[in-house]
Amino acid sequence: MTCGNPNVDEQDALMPRRTIGKHANMCVKCKEPTGRVFIRHSVYCKDCFSIHVVQKCRRCLDPHINPTPSPSTSTSTNPKMKPTKTPKRTADLRASGNLVLGYSGGLGSAVLLEIIDKWYFKSISERDGGGDKGGKRHPRNLSKVWEKAYVCYVEMSGVDDTIRDTTEEIREAVSRYPMFEFVPLRLEDAFDPAWWARITGSATLPADLRIISPELDLSLPSSSSPSSSPTTNPLATLRTYLTSLPTTTALYTSLTHLTRLLLLHTARSLSASHLLLGTNLTGLSVNLIDGIAVGGGFVVREEAGEVWQPNADGKGQGRDGGEIRVVRPLRELGMKECAVWAWWEGVGVVGEESVPLKGASIGRLTKDFIIGLEKDYPSTVSAIARTCGKLAPKGSNGGKCVLCERPAQSGVQAWKDRISIREFDGIESVPHISTSTSASPLPTPSTPSPDSDPPLSLSPHLCYVCHTTLTSRSSRSTASSIAGGEGLVLPLWAREAMGRFVPAPLGDAGAAGGDETGAHRNGAGVNGDGAGVNGDGAGVNGDGAGVNGDGDEMKSHVNGDGEVLVRRKVGEDEMRERVGAFLL
Amino acid sequence: MAPKSCALCKKARAMLKRPKTGQQICRDCFFFVFETEVHNTITEAKLFSPGDRVAIGASGGKDSTVLAHVMKTLNERYNYRLELFLLSIDEGITGYRDDSLETVKRNQQQYDMPLKILSYDELYGWTMDAIVEQIGRKNNCTFCGVFRRQALDRGANMLGVDHIVTGHNADDIAETVLMNIMRGDIARLGRCTSIVTQGEDTIRRSKPFKYAYEKEIVMYAYFKKLDYFSTECIYSPDAYRGHARAFLKDLEAARPSAIIDIVHSGEAFEVREEVKATQKLQQTCQRCGYMSSNTLCKACTLLEGLERGMADAGITDRARKRLEAEGPAPENLRTIPFFRPTTTPGSAASTVEVAI
Ligand SMILES: [Zn+2]
Ligand SMILES: [Zn+2]
Ligand SMILES: [Zn+2]
Ligand SMILES: [Zn+2]
Repeated sequence: MTCGNPNVDEQDALMPRRTIGKHANMCVKCKEPTGRVFIRHSVYCKDCFSIHVVQKCRRCLDPHINPTPSPSTSTSTNPKMKPTKTPKRTADLRASGNLVLGYSGGLGSAVLLEIIDKWYFKSISERDGGGDKGGKRHPRNLSKVWEKAYVCYVEMSGVDDTIRDTTEEIREAVSRYPMFEFVPLRLEDAFDPAWWARITGSATLPADLRIISPELDLSLPSSSSPSSSPTTNPLATLRTYLTSLPTTTALYTSLTHLTRLLLLHTARSLSASHLLLGTNLTGLSVNLIDGIAVGGGFVVREEAGEVWQPNADGKGQGRDGGEIRVVRPLRELGMKECAVWAWWEGVGVVGEESVPLKGASIGRLTKDFIIGLEKDYPSTVSAIARTCGKLAPKGSNGGKCVLCERPAQSGVQAWKDRISIREFDGIESVPHISTSTSASPLPTPSTPSPDSDPPLSLSPHLCYVCHTTLTSRSSRSTASSIAGGEGLVLPLWAREAMGRFVPAPLGDAGAAGGDETGAHRNGAGVNGDGAGVNGDGAGVNGDGAGVNGDGDEMKSHVNGDGEVLVRRKVGEDEMRERVGAFLL
Repeated sequence: MAPKSCALCKKARAMLKRPKTGQQICRDCFFFVFETEVHNTITEAKLFSPGDRVAIGASGGKDSTVLAHVMKTLNERYNYRLELFLLSIDEGITGYRDDSLETVKRNQQQYDMPLKILSYDELYGWTMDAIVEQIGRKNNCTFCGVFRRQALDRGANMLGVDHIVTGHNADDIAETVLMNIMRGDIARLGRCTSIVTQGEDTIRRSKPFKYAYEKEIVMYAYFKKLDYFSTECIYSPDAYRGHARAFLKDLEAARPSAIIDIVHSGEAFEVREEVKATQKLQQTCQRCGYMSSNTLCKACTLLEGLERGMADAGITDRARKRLEAEGPAPENLRTIPFFRPTTTPGSAASTVEVAI
């Protein structure tokens, strides 16, 4: 997914003009005076650079290919995908399932597909030699690292009428790699019962659960019409979902999560052991900061690499319980390295369609900020990735979020209630409200009256990020509510996951109490992924210039000589000016 | 727009839109939720015990002015039984001292709290004016920051308090989280979101405003008619931090919860155990007894550099080595008086080395 990043930028980035400069052109590897590219203090010739890129990619991927001897260790102690002992030779690499490559049409995924094909499948030589590109039978899978390989693409045109459907262009580009089978997806598949039936192989639809209040209460499916099939128009359902979100940031985050889950569930149905994404170092840093800015500190590690496990009782599982490793083999390569490599190797880049977003989103701001910062402080992106690589989640894992399927920290709701009071329920004494006329006469939410079931709420089953996505408002919007109309239909995986909390029509209603986020079902600490999407994270280029203006302005209106600090009295007028926008 | 009623009490007319939640609420409800959230922060972290002597780091700026008011209010409302003090550091900056201390002195009278003012001059023999004269404008923030931190601890020690509370707010913490990630400062990243920090031999420090929005602090001051002095660094010497700050403001504008969301993120991760093990151990400064990660603490190194005319010795490792190569410090070197903690009875002060 690209948000407003025109393809023109990618073309610009593909020109390695500035890289061939006056630096001594001795290649750092072969020491020949044929250096042509200058990357992070080193000069490479074309051949050595090509090898260097492939090596870096393999270094990030090879250790994660072979299955770990004891599967349990990979999920509990060190969720940052414990690498197996890396076989030295590619011939010793053997994955336990198939390969799915998430393809966005952007630079990163194009580079990734080329490298994976060239190094692990070698179909490209067949292709170039044989000439017949339609012959899917001819190319031989020489390495046998993976039995089968798929390219999955998620079409975003469902978001908005202005977005062009590029599925056919992508199909064309992918057809150059006959070892890979093309699997096109559409964003609206997340709401399409037919897609769900296809990938799960199950005929029963998950319960029709909708969000019906701003507190994220869910409607319970009426027992009279068990499957009133409201989701016959997945596209309309998707659009309602997206337009109901309270902020542009939420829209950005949701597009990322929907794309990611579509890829993962599809990969599971294709018996994949690996999902590879074309996120490069720049994109990874953007995703890391974006993740932190939307409250995802608990899953910061999953952003770089993770193991996703489908719900334990999910149907149609692949091998080994369907565990899928999500790997970003380009995560140590900068945007520039990818662009130069693509240029020299003649890799065609279709380009990603931009998703127009009204107003600022944290995702977009972060992208602009990091890419702008990278220009002035080139080491920033690697510093971000390195720092985040040293972090581990803190606090206890409350299970898996039903919406994004990543680990959810427990106690999040209580934290939010303490830190940002939104209602007086449960607070004993409110000084300026006399108890007799109190608006909340002794509310005791924990003990509902016996004749009415408490509403089934989505909140306890969400991670911090997803809860914030659905509930946090912008300062402008006043009426925007996710609970308008007939309610908001959840994506199918969330409906399936929540289905087990729906009280049975008669009797055993106790199950709906909603304890911790489904901890029984999957205590696994490792799943979920971040804002990676199937693309390259931070497209190419983009101007971060606008971001930095403020600081300078702040500086300039304070002046003086010799003193370190300027102190001035702040009167009522200035205070009023600062908070004026919030006064009614 | 027709006047709306308060989203919390449902009775009074809404007077403001809360920067933190976007809710439209009345003035009294704003005071109440603001104070209660600070109270929740204090009780959840079990910051104080009855009878604690607590110093409020008071600069005359908005954060500490509002903090003094809120601490006083909560102490009475919830019967914390704390003995509160005001502690102010005089950096020695010509022309500004009187103004800012005026606010602090007024607080002293209004709130009936004892006030201690400790100057850089008194403690280090240098005012910030004199430091700037010698080193120019570059790096003066390093001096100011290091000196202020140690001065606060020493002032608190003189007052005999157990605890210092400072006015760091959620915006400050969110900004620091971002900064430390971008700069790769893993040691600080691990520390910056903890509500209480305590080094060897130092007094507990905490941040009761760690979840309070800067905008709401200003709003609180506005409605309570508390006036304060703004303190701005002229040089904005840390351009990188300036970028981070501007970025955070943009994020807040896009979605106001961003600040608290970043603070939450910072609390939800920690430095991996394997990484922690490789970090420097904490020790005490040979010369002044203050906590340090080297044989000389940062303040002593900075001071020695100033005294010997090599001011950057405390700033870069290379300059420090150059200073060491010049030989030992001269006998008559002005130094910081040795730090002898008077409080913390029965604390874990017997441990000599503590991991950061
Ligand atoms: Zn070479
Ligand atoms: Zn989630
Ligand atoms: Zn009210
Ligand atoms: Zn010292």
